Amino acid sequence: MNLDWTVIWTSRDALLEGAGMTVLLTVLTMLMALPGGILLALMRLSNYRVLRGMSLAFVELFRNLPLILIIYWAFYVMPMALHVQMSAFTTALVALVLNISAYNAETFRAGINSIRKGQMEAALAMGMSRRQAMFKVVIPQAARRILPVFASTWVSLFKDTSLVSVIAVSELAYTSMQIRAHTFRVLEMLTAMAVIYWMMGYPQAKLVDWIHRKYGVKE
Amino acid sequence: MEFDFSPIVDNWRFFASGLGVTIALSAIAALTSILLGLVITLFRLYGPRWLRPFLVFYIDTMRSIPVLVVLVWIYFAFPLLAGVTFPPFWAALVGLTLHIAAYAAEVIRAGIESVRPGQTRAGLALGMSRAQILRKIILPQATIRMLPAFGSVLTIAIKDTAIATVIAVPEIMHRSEIVAGQSYRPIEVFTVAMIAYFLILFPVTRGVDRLYHRLAHLGRS
Repeated sequence: MNLDWTVIWTSRDALLEGAGMTVLLTVLTMLMALPGGILLALMRLSNYRVLRGMSLAFVELFRNLPLILIIYWAFYVMPMALHVQMSAFTTALVALVLNISAYNAETFRAGINSIRKGQMEAALAMGMSRRQAMFKVVIPQAARRILPVFASTWVSLFKDTSLVSVIAVSELAYTSMQIRAHTFRVLEMLTAMAVIYWMMGYPQAKLVDWIHRKYGVKE
Repeated sequence: MEFDFSPIVDNWRFFASGLGVTIALSAIAALTSILLGLVITLFRLYGPRWLRPFLVFYIDTMRSIPVLVVLVWIYFAFPLLAGVTFPPFWAALVGLTLHIAAYAAEVIRAGIESVRPGQTRAGLALGMSRAQILRKIILPQATIRMLPAFGSVLTIAIKDTAIATVIAVPEIMHRSEIVAGQSYRPIEVFTVAMIAYFLILFPVTRGVDRLYHRLAHLGRS
């Protein structure tokens, strides 16, 4: 078997662009899934039964479907059902945001619920309004507990962006596999893809471990 | 817009066997992952010291790269390196196991470490060997605490089998793609696939949540 690793160097521009696209997808998705998750969590904690039900249905649906199916669904079904045309990139973003918002909603809800009721009651007893109690007492405490879970979600999201390669969004996985198809350098390209993902993902995984050690809640 | 579910009705056997592949693959992958995770953890905690950095490196690597990349590498690249080929199902099983075992190992380590050191000391005081303590005291207590986490491993396995479609494992996702392409009925086909996955996953995640709440107090001992 003769290997030709120069193919990685010659296609460096495309690979870098692919890696850039992966980062862009991760960042954009999270920027949208954060308010999405907060909105869903607030709906879930609201006094209106309809809002609670809608949020619950959304979260349970997207937590219980494989992401790749949501991506296919967004790509093939959404344009036909809703009569909208979207680029592959936008479609990918929609699918990722739907999925990650559901996870974020669970994270926020669990974080806020983990703060004991007495904290809210004590704040109210001191004459704070419900809003003040929420923003000055409950949320600051919840944030510390949310951070480690949020960091884990971030890393899963980073990895899950590879799935949008199935609808031909030119991120790292798609780009690598395209170059593999053009050059027939299967082993070299797929190994390069794995190594590039590793170089980007490993520091993030380590950072997550550090956040867990520093902010994780020990029962 | 008109719906036409005839492609699904006509191909129901095709889908049903795809469902079988999804369930079989996820169940076997969850099981092998937990076993491999247990082996990794035992070597990490009790094995020779020089082995530890390698195991930690393995776990961290699997946590840093996408499962899609692992599957594609095992199926397309590894055969070139080793000079062997295996069918997609086996490639998927190996890839999923290698990937999910890293998560299982972390779960099992947390479970074992949650059993207080006093338990080991008590065992030693009674004259038990380290192996006996592990088998009779630590693992039974840890296993109960790890049950919900094993349930999560199963949900991960079920969701990740859908990714095996990229190496053409004939599970539901792959069969949906084929039928959707042939019949030009993606709305119906993917909607039915969605319902199928939801019906498999919802009871599992529900069960895991229940188990978690029921066993939560055990974690604090």
